[in-house]
Amino acid sequence: MNENHTGFRIRQHLNRGLVLKNDTLEGLKAGRMRALERQRAEVRVDVLAWVGNVSGYFGAPQSLLQRFVLPVTVLVVGILAINTWQQTQAVQEIEEIDAAVLTGDLPIDAYLDNGFDAWLKHSSR
Amino acid sequence: MKERDSPLASRTELSEFLASVERRAFKQACFAVRDEEHALDIVQDSMMKLSEKYGDKPSAEFPMLFQRILQNTIRDFYRRQKVRSIWTTLLSTLSIGRENEESDPLESMAIEDHTSLGETPYAQLNRDQVLELIEEELKKLPPRQREAFLLRYWEELDVAETAAAMGCSQGSVKTHCSRATHTLAAALRSKGLEL
Repeated sequence: MNENHTGFRIRQHLNRGLVLKNDTLEGLKAGRMRALERQRAEVRVDVLAWVGNVSGYFGAPQSLLQRFVLPVTVLVVGILAINTWQQTQAVQEIEEIDAAVLTGDLPIDAYLDNGFDAWLKHSSR
Repeated sequence: MKERDSPLASRTELSEFLASVERRAFKQACFAVRDEEHALDIVQDSMMKLSEKYGDKPSAEFPMLFQRILQNTIRDFYRRQKVRSIWTTLLSTLSIGRENEESDPLESMAIEDHTSLGETPYAQLNRDQVLELIEEELKKLPPRQREAFLLRYWEELDVAETAAAMGCSQGSVKTHCSRATHTLAAALRSKGLEL
């Protein structure tokens, strides 16, 4: 016996039995309509569409925004941040030296440094 | 936005799929539960679950998903029936003290008598009678064999899809299908019907 042949023949007979009563057909149709009303929406598509819309809002000069304005902004902000940090460091170093001079905590090498000695005399005038 | 390789199903595609499968699903449920009202409930419930939970899937995945949902819904029906039968039997026993009756719907399916069709010669069987004979023999199959047979040969799922829908191995699907086919062929042959 060929299994596929038997399956195929039985399938042919079963397909002839798909004539259903009107009540049943109406019930199936009603169930289908109810199911379609509650079809799950594709959330990911909505999110991507939202993102696309937002970028589209800024999107008219998109190439200009991406290629020029953003890099320049990042560069300027970075330079300002580095400058501020360096100034803060310099002030801190001067404050430390002043404190050491006032409290007599300078290392002995400082008094042997001619440059420091000259700076001390100059600044004390 | 880039297009996907497997586009998501639209409402129309889902509608067309459900319309194409609902009659066979109803008959499948009828074979399983032997009650048209319950079968209709099962199919409606299955359509709702597919739409609610998987309505955003590519339409190519619908056949396997729907069959899995349908088979699970049928199994849920069996479980509820069994629990209901146990309670009914228990209460009946307590109230009137009669003997326990068979309460398993799976087992009760296999005891119907079809001798009225058994003596009919093949030459006298018209299409309706052949169909009735096949449907009755399908109902008498063990549930897993019937499920595998219908998914493979009626729904035309391949072995892998059938295994996924049934939640079993591909080897089990082949075994179930082979046994079902042999049983059906032998039963029909005994009634004088050669396929």
